[in-house]
Amino acid sequence: MIDVKTKIYSFFIFNSSFGPREGEELQRILFYHPSQTSADTQKMQVGLCEAVVKFMSTFSSEPCEALQTQSKRYIFYQPEKGYWMVLVVRIPYTTKALSAIGESRGDVVDPSVMYDLLKSAYKMFRMFRGLFKDFPIEEIYSVCDQFFTPYISSRNLSNDISDVIQGINYLPLDKNSFFKVLCFIDLLEVNYPHFKCISFIYNEQLIWNGLATHDMLTLYQYLVQTLLPKQVAKEIQGGAVAAAQRHGRFIHPPEGIHNKEDLQKLVKVHVMREDDSETKQYYLVIYRTLSATICFTVDVTDELEFEMFRSLDAFIGPQLSSIASTISEQCSIHALQTAQLAASEHKFVYFNRLNLAFKTSPPPNKLHLSTTIKPEVLSIIASIHADKKNLGNYGEIIIKTPDEYWITGKASNDREFYVIIQEKNANLKEIADEVRRICEAQMKGIFFYPM
Amino acid sequence: MAKFCLKDSDEYYLALSDQPKRFDADSPVTNVFFDDSNGQVFTVRSGGVTGVTVNGMEESKSTSFRMEDRGPIISIKFSPDLKILAIQRNHDNQNATVEFVNFNDLTPTNVEYSHTCKWKNAKILGFVWPRVNEIAFITDHGIELLQVLPEKKQLKSLKNTTFSCAWFSWCSQSNIVLLAGNNGVLLQPFSLNNSTITKLQKLELDMTKPVVERDVFILRLCEATWCAVFRHGHSATVSSPGPTEVWLMPITGPSGYHYTHVLKTGLVGRFAVNVVDDLIVVHHQSSQTSQLFDIMEDSKPENNIMIHIPVVPGVSMKPARVGEQLCPMYSDTWVVFQPDYIIDARLGCLWRVKLIPSGLAHSVPKDEIAKIVAVLLRRTDGKDTIYRIVHQLVTEAGTYLVQLSEVFDEIHSVYRKWADLEVARNTAGQAAELARPPHIFRVLISQSDMCGHVLQQHADDKYLVQVVTAYVASLCRQALVVQQAAGELAVRALVTRGAAGRLRAALRRGLLGDARPLACALLSLGHLDAGAAQLALDMLWRLRGHDDVVEVLLSRAEPVAAAGAARAAGAWPQLPPRKLLAAARASGALPAFVALYHALRARNERLRGSPHFLKAEQCDSYVEYYKQITAEQ
Repeated sequence: MIDVKTKIYSFFIFNSSFGPREGEELQRILFYHPSQTSADTQKMQVGLCEAVVKFMSTFSSEPCEALQTQSKRYIFYQPEKGYWMVLVVRIPYTTKALSAIGESRGDVVDPSVMYDLLKSAYKMFRMFRGLFKDFPIEEIYSVCDQFFTPYISSRNLSNDISDVIQGINYLPLDKNSFFKVLCFIDLLEVNYPHFKCISFIYNEQLIWNGLATHDMLTLYQYLVQTLLPKQVAKEIQGGAVAAAQRHGRFIHPPEGIHNKEDLQKLVKVHVMREDDSETKQYYLVIYRTLSATICFTVDVTDELEFEMFRSLDAFIGPQLSSIASTISEQCSIHALQTAQLAASEHKFVYFNRLNLAFKTSPPPNKLHLSTTIKPEVLSIIASIHADKKNLGNYGEIIIKTPDEYWITGKASNDREFYVIIQEKNANLKEIADEVRRICEAQMKGIFFYPM
Repeated sequence: MAKFCLKDSDEYYLALSDQPKRFDADSPVTNVFFDDSNGQVFTVRSGGVTGVTVNGMEESKSTSFRMEDRGPIISIKFSPDLKILAIQRNHDNQNATVEFVNFNDLTPTNVEYSHTCKWKNAKILGFVWPRVNEIAFITDHGIELLQVLPEKKQLKSLKNTTFSCAWFSWCSQSNIVLLAGNNGVLLQPFSLNNSTITKLQKLELDMTKPVVERDVFILRLCEATWCAVFRHGHSATVSSPGPTEVWLMPITGPSGYHYTHVLKTGLVGRFAVNVVDDLIVVHHQSSQTSQLFDIMEDSKPENNIMIHIPVVPGVSMKPARVGEQLCPMYSDTWVVFQPDYIIDARLGCLWRVKLIPSGLAHSVPKDEIAKIVAVLLRRTDGKDTIYRIVHQLVTEAGTYLVQLSEVFDEIHSVYRKWADLEVARNTAGQAAELARPPHIFRVLISQSDMCGHVLQQHADDKYLVQVVTAYVASLCRQALVVQQAAGELAVRALVTRGAAGRLRAALRRGLLGDARPLACALLSLGHLDAGAAQLALDMLWRLRGHDDVVEVLLSRAEPVAAAGAARAAGAWPQLPPRKLLAAARASGALPAFVALYHALRARNERLRGSPHFLKAEQCDSYVEYYKQITAEQ
């Protein structure tokens, strides 16, 4: 839905208090993308945003959220007091009559998606770098540049439901395999008390989480969008090497941990563990075998010894690969079973706001999905999803598009459920009944408040 | 490898009974006889003239009396009801004869009679009492089974069988006699049950290695009867004979015991055998140790043979005291009888051997803890020791987490087998009873036992969360439903230990199973943990606790959802209007109030033909409220 290279006009971060006097405007700009933009344009863009934000503050105590001009849309996000992140996208405009614009509505980036993009960018920054305000002024420009330049250019938002609703894909697993994972984690933590397992991921699906939900989402996005694709590519390239590495290796730091010096490369993260009450700084260690990836945190105050990591490697390697093969067997069994079930002819999306579980009808295969969910439909779902106040904790909404798509959004007990039905000659009742049927069939054991 | 040592456990796993039964020691004028059927020691002084004392382990089986000395006694035994005393004497010139004396209240009457074996030249090797008023003479010509008619002072022949035999071995628990023919190469068992003699499957032994009488025992073990034979190292290699093995060959028993079990002692020398609590005890004199073998342990048969090694390395029996003094153990004067008697004829002591279950866990390699627990699960008094072991493993879960979960698996696999059998028995009725597989459930530890006796006492342990997880994981592996006790324990442990995330994950994946108490516990956590409340509602709905769901929704100020839930559950006509309207008003959502008000009026209309609320429903204030808000609009 949003193509960074062509649609994003600019992305910048500013703090007005950094260069309060005239002539110091450039100091206010912590980061500007694209970097080749002329200083004057940067100043003008930032100046406009500063003015709008300031102006709006006279009307509302709530910070300003967006600005739309004829050709651009500005989304503002103030994660920390005084720090503003702004995303500017081009919108198609034309001097034709309004009705004609409707045709190309699909190209318009939904504000909620833009806002989410800003938010995840900030959360990623916060996890790997920390708060903006914790950096001294001299450093922050280079820190932002180092972090956001690769981040923004690697973001590849496509026309996909998973960008509209940011969730976590959980791996359905039989009880015994899940217990195998859990008991393995327990055993590991008991034997290596420095290491705390914060997530266990198989392929791109989460099995175990030890972080507070929102940090988990950020870490999950980092793994699934950034780290794992690189690893998978590496594994595919070095076929023979991968076979030799069957027993697993540390993938974070990406070069692995082979000697004492590698310990210096360990990355620190700011995260909150599940059932903890504060965010703390930890070393992030990630280990991978076959398709199983396991993440640990180590307290930054702990003394790190290379011996510890070597022994951990020897401990995890064989066990994790056996667990990974069990899971892979289970997955193939599960895949067979689901294949045998009559696939629902209609698309649905499930989202649980509490654990961010996200599930769609077809396998979340990006290539496949983009052709099936039309941008207009996606945009409607995005707006239902964003408009939590309207649907609230309990409600149902059915929308019909001019081209015979029926979109149903259901909210109940902190869960959301969307069904997309393409049916020319249906009436409202038939659609409602069909949605109920799909809901009961697909979401067994989950209680949706009856209508 | 580090060894596990159960705290306060005995270093011995076998002991003699605390108080030995004392009797006059063997001497030139005193002869001592032991009858293992009744467990009685006979001390015959001066051929009985100066008195015969009978000592049993129980007082009721002890007595003393006098009798005439009519020659040296070979064997002397009471009938099972202690009403007839049979005596076999050594008379070189007479026919094979056994004398009988009728007894009344353990005192002799003057009714005496005798009976001579039917074979003229036969030599009586011994006699046995298969049941009250039935006696069998075992002779070198065969077996003669007779009925004793004490009132008529005569015996009636019931059955006889000819078999040329050199010696015999008798098992009073199963009434099976084993005759050794052909110089100890052929062992032929007979069953003397049901007043008849039944020839059983003969035991074929290696022709080159005939067995001698002292190496053969008949044992009752695991509800089956076995012939135990000591196979000493092969004589071909006399220079270095291999260690002795005990071969256990099944004679009769429930189906499932058709393998020969070979017990590897790894020792040479003089041995004796006892059976204690279905364990075979092999006493070895020169090393002064007693090894334990459990033939019920899991092992794979090879060529119809199961090989066993001692459960734990051999240790001697706990030193026994006679009076104030320690008595010599494994002495030359010991005689061992089945199943668990040991007699020291010189000291005049009769003991029984007993198992000290905790001694088995005194020194166990880390990876054999589960095996020991499996052994204890098959012992009568194993439960207490298992609890102690689990207690200690839980306390030291940092070291023993893996072993703990193996122990849980052993406990649960026994429970699972028992549960399956119960189900089969209940569904198939009598038929299943007959086809009972040879599982003996001595110790069953249910979930409430484990929680109540062990886990609840560890609420402050460091690794409680991990222990509880391992426990529930083990239940799942054995496909056992998590019962209320375990479920509650798990919830409490996870919540109090700040592992609510794990609890939610467990519930989402259905690990704990649905139960109303669990759902209620989750609801009570709901104000702290939105996830728990969400899962509680799901669970209540799955359990069809529709009324509860409606109540919860009302209390959460979700009146429309509550009405919907009531409707879906078919409870809409009974839903009290006042409750619903109160919740709607409290929720502050005017449209919701109005909608529900209309819905309730429509309901009244349909149910009673009039839209108005009944007086008893006490809805007047809400009617007012409705008028007020609609007027404003």
